[in-house]
Amino acid sequence: MADQGRGSLSGLTESEAKEFHGIFVTSFIIFTVIAIIAHFLVWQWRPWL
Amino acid sequence: MWRIWLLFDPRRALIALFTFLFVLALLIHFILLSTDRFNWLGGHAAPSAAAQHMSTLPDTAKP
Repeated sequence: MADQGRGSLSGLTESEAKEFHGIFVTSFIIFTVIAIIAHFLVWQWRPWL
Repeated sequence: MWRIWLLFDPRRALIALFTFLFVLALLIHFILLSTDRFNWLGGHAAPSAAAQHMSTLPDTAKP
């Protein structure tokens, strides 16, 4: 098919998309962990519910 | 799930995502700064949610 090689809409190949997705997911998990820690600390400071 | 990057250009997606998150963070921080309870620069003691509601009662009762 067309998206086997360089025919995808974004111009990425499958291997490039997989590589970027790995970095993206890792970054998202790190961001989420930091956000959870920040929310925990703010809850300790002044709970909002 | 990785096939999403065959549809969306990662460069544009990242710029859009970072812009959205930055504006959202700025909005939330300013909203919190505008409140008494969650303003971390105001220097006021922390009023509890209930005490904040009752705080005008003693003042009006004094005179």
